[in-house]
Amino acid sequence: MSFSSDSPDLELVHRPRSGQTSLETRRYLINIIGWSLCTIAFLLVAIPMGDLILTIAVKGASAMSLKIFTTSSNGMTGGLLNAIVGTLVLSLGSLVFAVPIGVGGGVYLSEYGQNHLGAAIRFLADTLTGTPSIVLGYFAYITMVIGLGWKFSVLAGSITLAIMVVPYLARITELSLRRVPTTMREAAYALGAKDRTVALRVVLAAALPGVMTSVLLSLAISVGETAPLIYTAGWSNYLWTGRLTHAPVGYLTYVIWTFINEPSEKSHALAFAAALLVMLVVLTINVSVRFILRKRT
Amino acid sequence: MRFDQSMRCVTLRRAAAAMVLVAGLGMGVARAASVTLTETGSTLLYPLFNIWVPPFEKAHPGIRVTTQGTGSGTGIAQAISGLVQIGASDAYMSDAQLKQHPNILNIPLAISAQAINYNLPGLNNRHLKLSGPVLAGIYTGKITRWNDPAIEKLNPGVPLPNHKIIPVHRTDGSGDTFIFSQYLSFSTPAWANSVGYGTTVSWPAVPAGLGAQGNPGMVEALKQNPYAIAYIGVSFHAEVSRAHLGKAMLENRAGHFVLPTAKTISAAASELVSKTPADERISLVFATGAESYPIINYEYAIVNARQPNAETANAVKALLTWASNEGNNPQYLKQVEFMALPASIRTLSADQIAKIHG
Amino acid sequence: MKNLTPFRLSLAGLALVIPCALISIVFFLTTYSWKAIGFNGFGFLGTINWSLGNLYANPVHQHGYLVPPGAKYGILAFIVGTLLSSFLAILFAVPISIGTAMFLAEKAPANLRTALTMIVELVAVVPSVVFGLWGIFVLVPLIAHVIGPAITATLGFIPFFNMNNSTGSGYGLLAASIVLALMITPIIATTLYDALDQVPRELRESAYALGATHFEVVTGTMLPTVRVTLIGAIVLALGRALGETMAVLMVSGGALNYLPGTLFTPISTMAAFILSQLDSALQDPSEMAVKSLAEIALVLFVITVIVNAAARLLARGTIRVIQL
Repeated sequence: MSFSSDSPDLELVHRPRSGQTSLETRRYLINIIGWSLCTIAFLLVAIPMGDLILTIAVKGASAMSLKIFTTSSNGMTGGLLNAIVGTLVLSLGSLVFAVPIGVGGGVYLSEYGQNHLGAAIRFLADTLTGTPSIVLGYFAYITMVIGLGWKFSVLAGSITLAIMVVPYLARITELSLRRVPTTMREAAYALGAKDRTVALRVVLAAALPGVMTSVLLSLAISVGETAPLIYTAGWSNYLWTGRLTHAPVGYLTYVIWTFINEPSEKSHALAFAAALLVMLVVLTINVSVRFILRKRT
Repeated sequence: MRFDQSMRCVTLRRAAAAMVLVAGLGMGVARAASVTLTETGSTLLYPLFNIWVPPFEKAHPGIRVTTQGTGSGTGIAQAISGLVQIGASDAYMSDAQLKQHPNILNIPLAISAQAINYNLPGLNNRHLKLSGPVLAGIYTGKITRWNDPAIEKLNPGVPLPNHKIIPVHRTDGSGDTFIFSQYLSFSTPAWANSVGYGTTVSWPAVPAGLGAQGNPGMVEALKQNPYAIAYIGVSFHAEVSRAHLGKAMLENRAGHFVLPTAKTISAAASELVSKTPADERISLVFATGAESYPIINYEYAIVNARQPNAETANAVKALLTWASNEGNNPQYLKQVEFMALPASIRTLSADQIAKIHG
Repeated sequence: MKNLTPFRLSLAGLALVIPCALISIVFFLTTYSWKAIGFNGFGFLGTINWSLGNLYANPVHQHGYLVPPGAKYGILAFIVGTLLSSFLAILFAVPISIGTAMFLAEKAPANLRTALTMIVELVAVVPSVVFGLWGIFVLVPLIAHVIGPAITATLGFIPFFNMNNSTGSGYGLLAASIVLALMITPIIATTLYDALDQVPRELRESAYALGATHFEVVTGTMLPTVRVTLIGAIVLALGRALGETMAVLMVSGGALNYLPGTLFTPISTMAAFILSQLDSALQDPSEMAVKSLAEIALVLFVITVIVNAAARLLARGTIRVIQL
């Protein structure tokens, strides 16, 4: 008898037999109704999502061509090369800042944060997620773009995105680490392992799928954000020049946000192509990370 | 296995070399251009700027221009702070703003107009006649039904439905709101005293009223809501007619009802040419003249007269000169339904452009 | 403190970057909006009256501050819009997320599970602008023609649920809440799914051994063990709902200076309002408008703090109910 969740005929065990009490019938019914509700809940998410993906895929695919990957935009038509490169640079740049802080912070909160300091950090991290992205953008605009004189730049954009995703990284990392059974930590300590080994090589390794989920979620958020970048990264019709400051850079969400507002069919098509690309980029990363994780275990 | 690994190594190295090469090429191209100008601001002017840039860059190979649609207020603010060389704005700067920043120039580049559109089932192919006071009544909630006597009086014989009016306004700051509220302010004293004009105004709370984001949001709100009315920039003319929405004839200062056409827009512009001051800050809304369409405006470039160096200054001058002359060619303007500047305005602009220095 | 090893200290240092970022933002907003706080006083929170004033007239002195004539800043309507839409979004999203996570972890066919999970994860990937577009083209008409009339037909005797008391356009509180709910569902559902996946096998097997049905095993045994995770995810999701900007702006109907009388009335949230007003506010030569927007951001921070605390308390209650 398998108790694996995949077993399709698990309910057989509880199929009502003659002479069953009303309590058993009730429990049986609750079981059926409960799972039906769960399925409906899933459909309530999946159907709108399917509709959304289909709309973007159809409209985006019809606008796809090789030109999109080989030429830069002129602000309304043309290709998306400048925006694709810019989005990658900005998002990966934000991860450079956010992952060490977020994952490190998450490890701290989970392993050593069962105190007042940990509680305070947790609370403030959750508060930070409630910051409207436009406020972060304006904060960065006043402090970095104007205050530090970086002008519109990759650095200002990446740091703004990093501030935005760090609390998600930290909190989701913490939540995944805390699910690693305490017995694993105890066993490692009993073998004479040091803090560093237990935290990084035992607990973090065990919770890697969860941590990767948080990195993906952060990547998704930063690839999909517009508001904080308009005032920090600016926008450029040209390819990124490799400069970290004093040079604006293009990105895909700007294309979605601005081109959809243009009075031209071609611009709308490019906007949908950009939306499709954003989703494909993250989907690819998502699939490959899962593939790597599965191979590892 | 080993072989495989070494192969992979070689492939990786090649890929890395290729990337370095591509990056190098990219930077080489970037260095070839001597000046890069940044334009930001008005989303109404943004499409035109994008139409302008390729032919301009062809004519001036040393200059590159990158554009961004952020909004007129942002365009003005970033031109003032020196983040961009050219701020695009549907509205000229206020006296108070200019007093704080006397170095900033307001240079018209083209003329734009705005239509009043509606979705009245069965009546969309007829041009209803509307006036400033009637529109003000609709947007303040005093006129709530399409068969209100005030509307019937302007449209005798039209079978107006006994249905609630849904007035749609822009929620984002917008040059369209600026000129629409100016039309209401100049034509209706009650509106001027209670609401006034601006890129955002505090819309009176109309129970049936609706806010929409951007011009596409306005078109969509009209499409989805029969009996709705909205103000939409003429560059969206194609979208509006594709959706089979109605377009109103508006009452001008002379009391005539006119549609936004090349003729009526030019008529309104020429009425105000002689009144345009040297700094070119003037509203073209509600012009005199029997043929004048009442809701038109100059699209401005907001530029600091003092640029960081002579090279940039010359590039800015070249761009603005090109835009207000060659750029006013109908082949460019027609794509967004804008109108060319009158000749005397170009002269005024040339005088202002000459003030730009390094 | 006995365990202050360099390793722990450096981790603590990394963790402290987060509160530092938050504190510097709050500090910046406070100093930046100081003038507005002084000018607006407490009326800022308690009045429904927002007007930038006449930006083209010369600024006038009012209570010792230089402001555009007619400028008034009262944001009660936006506070109400923010709280109502986020509250409804959580109300929709929590049961749906729990159901989705349970379905994916326990009921989904094994060979389809990865694909189905990915659909939910994809929700988090959709740029907020795209959600807004989908909202305008699909959800809003659906509310106007199907959902709205259905709710009116069943609950219409309560004025709040009667669409005839509103524009009837579909744009408004309900549209904003549904879009928000859809956006935050993956945050709760995927976190919970990962957690359910890791519940020790012994726990589930011992529950089966006691004769529990599959549903009872999951709700009675497994869900309670992932309680902390669930609360954390809900609070995170709530934060995202409170701060979400673009999508809400596009479907909320952009109400100004009035409270939502029905589920279908247009609203404005604080975050969306900051975005939609920033451009116009930049034209105010007295800078009072921009500084008042910064004050809205500050108020939103305070509200997020309060709501976070409340959500933690409430979430505990909810989980007890689910424990059966």
